[in-house]
Amino acid sequence: MKRQLPLAIIFAMGVFTIVTNFIPAKPVADVNQMFRNWYLGIITFFTFLGTINLAKVNVERTRDRSRDWQYSIILLVALATQLFLGFYKWSPDALREGSPFMYVYFNLQFPLEATMYSLLAFFMTSASFRAFRARNKEALLLLLAAVVVMLGRVPIGSSIWDGFPKVTEWIMSYPNAAAKRGIMIGIDLGLISMALRMILGIERSYMQ
Amino acid sequence: MSVLTKISNLDRRIIFLAVALAVTIPLLLPIGFPVDMSEPVQKVYDLIETLQPGSVVLMSIDYDPSGAPELYPATLSVMRQCFARNLRVFVIGMWATGVPLGQRALNTVAVDEYHKEYGKDFVNFGFRPGGAVMLVNLGRNIYDVCRQDVYGTPVEDLPMMKDVRSSKDIAFAITFSMGDPGSDQWIWYYHARYRGNLATAQTAIGAPKYYQYLQTGQLVGLIGGMKGAAEYERLVNVPGLATVGMDSQSIAHMLIIGFIVLGNLLYWREKRNK
Repeated sequence: MKRQLPLAIIFAMGVFTIVTNFIPAKPVADVNQMFRNWYLGIITFFTFLGTINLAKVNVERTRDRSRDWQYSIILLVALATQLFLGFYKWSPDALREGSPFMYVYFNLQFPLEATMYSLLAFFMTSASFRAFRARNKEALLLLLAAVVVMLGRVPIGSSIWDGFPKVTEWIMSYPNAAAKRGIMIGIDLGLISMALRMILGIERSYMQ
Repeated sequence: MSVLTKISNLDRRIIFLAVALAVTIPLLLPIGFPVDMSEPVQKVYDLIETLQPGSVVLMSIDYDPSGAPELYPATLSVMRQCFARNLRVFVIGMWATGVPLGQRALNTVAVDEYHKEYGKDFVNFGFRPGGAVMLVNLGRNIYDVCRQDVYGTPVEDLPMMKDVRSSKDIAFAITFSMGDPGSDQWIWYYHARYRGNLATAQTAIGAPKYYQYLQTGQLVGLIGGMKGAAEYERLVNVPGLATVGMDSQSIAHMLIIGFIVLGNLLYWREKRNK
């Protein structure tokens, strides 16, 4: 029963969701709408569950003095502080300019996250020096396309030659779009087959 | 050890230092390279220009601070154009950590620059969880998804929302997106069901994926990366952070190209010697 019931629910919901896409009649659409609302409720609850889980994992790491446990303390303090500031007076004032929540967000969270993302530029430059080699004709073609796109994507490119932005747009619109479309079709076929496997109970790894 | 061998074993900290200098020096000493326009950005601008005053523009803030250097300037510029044309702006977001960014953009543009009235000219419903399912519901019945704004005001009490009930009442939707959920969900679930005019602003790394949707007409336009944002700043005639950042990005790209060329020269030399 522990295995059969989830499989039956998945099968019923999967078939129902597919079928309702082809039946626009109001009673069916209303039931579908009800299920979507349930989903939104569950998803919202997951945010809460995720926060609890994050706190639990980091409390345990601190308690057990696991590797780099000091970072867990920083995470817990930051989590508690921002939660408190967000729910301060249990009112929506948190989002007004000058509120403690907005102050911490724009002076701590914003620069920290932006800095983490900007580190990509450093690692990409280092990697391009060490790994971006024209080992064969295909790699050389990729390398040339990358150089043209890098020049076409910044104003200095058009200052060197006004054709760079036009060639870049062509690369993006045709070879790039064709490759992306092929990849997307492949991924989507994979997704459809995986969804069918789950609906039919062939794929059960999510239950483990 | 020869000079070339030393260069091929270059300490990566020197590369990091070179990148840091390439980015920071142009910020301190701007060069002012002219920003040229691209068609996908121009199309977004042109479409907004065709909207009648009072039309509703939905802006979805689907990014967090890590994407803000590229997407926040675009958010400000599109908002400027909307408020300059007396369009009504309806803001939501699928990323919880992006809500303050949308709020600050509204405070800067709608309140400080254009003196617009909250609830009448613009509204902010903040974070809406649920991704694709939320968008399906939003297009069908906005009141189902947006029951309260970020201040806790019921949707029925917001004058602007009296005639904004479903996707039919939205003249144009744009998602400022850096990942999932974001542009994919807007295209696959919202546009596929409800059609209408949809555009996206993307980080530079994500933008190439969306050219295919420009060709099919699922997107009317695309603002790609900081360059796209700089183009939009030029269109609305308010140079900002993206325009300033173009000099840094230009020099950084030249540096990366230089390293790629150098790396390959060393590789070919090594290959020939073997």
